[in-house]
Amino acid sequence: MKKIITLKNVSKEYKTLNRREGLRGSFLDLFSRNYKIINAVNDISFEIKPGEKVGLLGPNGAGKSTAIKMMSGVLKPTGGEIFVNGVIPYENRTKNAENIGVVFGQRTQLWWALPLIESFKLLKDIYMIKNADYDNMMELYKSIIDLGPLLNKPVRQMSLGQRTLSDILASFLHNPKVVFLDEPTIGLDVSVKSKIRELILELNKNKNTTIILTTHDISDIDALCERAIIIDKGNKLYDNSLENLKKFFGSYRTLKVLFKKNEEWVDYLVNEDEQSVMQKLNEIAAQKKIVDIKIEEISTEDVIKKIYDGGIND
Amino acid sequence: MIKRYLALTRIGIMRVIQWRGSLLITFAGNIVYLLIIYNIWRAIYSSSPAETVNGMTFTDTMVYLVLAMTIFNVLNIFIVWIMGEDIRSGQMVLDLIKPMSFRSYTFFSTLGGNIVQFFVVFVPTFIIVNIITGGAIAIGLNIFFFLISLFLAMIIFFFIEFAVGTLCFYTESVWGINIVKETMVLLLSGAMIPIAFFPAGFRNVVNYLPFQAIYNTPLRILTEEKMPLNNILQMLFVQLIWVAVFYIAGGLFWNISIKRITVNGG
Repeated sequence: MKKIITLKNVSKEYKTLNRREGLRGSFLDLFSRNYKIINAVNDISFEIKPGEKVGLLGPNGAGKSTAIKMMSGVLKPTGGEIFVNGVIPYENRTKNAENIGVVFGQRTQLWWALPLIESFKLLKDIYMIKNADYDNMMELYKSIIDLGPLLNKPVRQMSLGQRTLSDILASFLHNPKVVFLDEPTIGLDVSVKSKIRELILELNKNKNTTIILTTHDISDIDALCERAIIIDKGNKLYDNSLENLKKFFGSYRTLKVLFKKNEEWVDYLVNEDEQSVMQKLNEIAAQKKIVDIKIEEISTEDVIKKIYDGGIND
Repeated sequence: MIKRYLALTRIGIMRVIQWRGSLLITFAGNIVYLLIIYNIWRAIYSSSPAETVNGMTFTDTMVYLVLAMTIFNVLNIFIVWIMGEDIRSGQMVLDLIKPMSFRSYTFFSTLGGNIVQFFVVFVPTFIIVNIITGGAIAIGLNIFFFLISLFLAMIIFFFIEFAVGTLCFYTESVWGINIVKETMVLLLSGAMIPIAFFPAGFRNVVNYLPFQAIYNTPLRILTEEKMPLNNILQMLFVQLIWVAVFYIAGGLFWNISIKRITVNGG
């Protein structure tokens, strides 16, 4: 089967200034600079098939965004090679740009002061989208979500959820082969998150767009992806189907307990195959008074910890 | 192909005219500036025994400086600031993933600002100046050549701004560089003091610099109605040479810088 994205032993090193502390340190930095090399991405390889939905999972600073920036041609790897749709992205940035769409959850590519429709019209011209294709895409959008209230609203007046939704629509507008979504659900509430996930799934289904999604929220991957790649400190820890991952972690829950108001929540990781959350709760309640509880899915950090402890192999 | 560039310019215009307030403030600020230079030059001329100083009458000087200021408004659309801010915040990533060269993308999306300023600041000022002075500026072929010259000046100015903006990759701060650039451009281009007033030696040096092609050239073409066609064409040609030089040198500088960034991380 043809591959749409190939990464071969890709590494990325950053040179950053090691700043010294205090006024004296700042002063010293003026004269002698002390650089530190950071391995943001370390010898990562993977291949992605057209139409696949892949989640890049990892805690903050794991190297996910760096990987996305390399695949979109903004950063050049220090080692290894990348092909996106047959193009080397960092050597042919503008050519690569025609085939990809990118959404950065914390930024917007939309024109802040103007109504959304103006951004769409401009993107139509920038990507030289044919009228018929543009109209088809708009029809598709309208069939998935209620576009009406968004189109004529200036982007700066949108809520974060509306803006993210609009940014995703904008990134699919030229019907790219690959869409990179970098933390698209960051800062959104549960109902908006699910709306955004639906939209992404629907677009992937209709256009067979390859989706690469980065997140530190395991539930995003759960809702969207068939395959998960876990990265921590620049290293690839896991690359296999989501199903396989769930076999190991599907039964894990994080039980959060509050013992006293204004104190920190205490986390317990419960494997429901061994002990139910209720049993654990009773156990805790027998020893200490509980003010409040929350049950969440296993956190990415716990998954990574388990992988390091040898709890899972791919 | 050209359509995508025009679309960028069109949206640039829309973006600028959204801010009615800022257009008004520009207008008010100009009036204050005009009052100041009027009084300064009044004083200079009244302390001189002759009617003309360095071959220019008081009216000539005022017309020149007023128009220089309006051209400043037309040209200056804060590209250095925008680029510096985009580099600092990382927002530039989003422009880099567009299927266009970043320099053309920036030029055409800021061109809208130039066009709005031309109609909002330059055209009214030009009409008012001509009414007050009883037609000090001839209206004829000079207008045509002036518009060509102004457009070339705009490109040269953009290239200078873009190069200074590119410098922000290295410095991570905009303020200092921009002040230096602004002062140099305003002084050496003849925007603050007509080049005719410069000492002869200095004037020679300035003539070989690109800055005079920004203000001095279009203004002289506009105001000196008796300038022979040959001189006009020669001046336009010099402008064209500067456009070519900056196009190549600025492009190289940008390519080297962006490579450095993509290698070292932004």
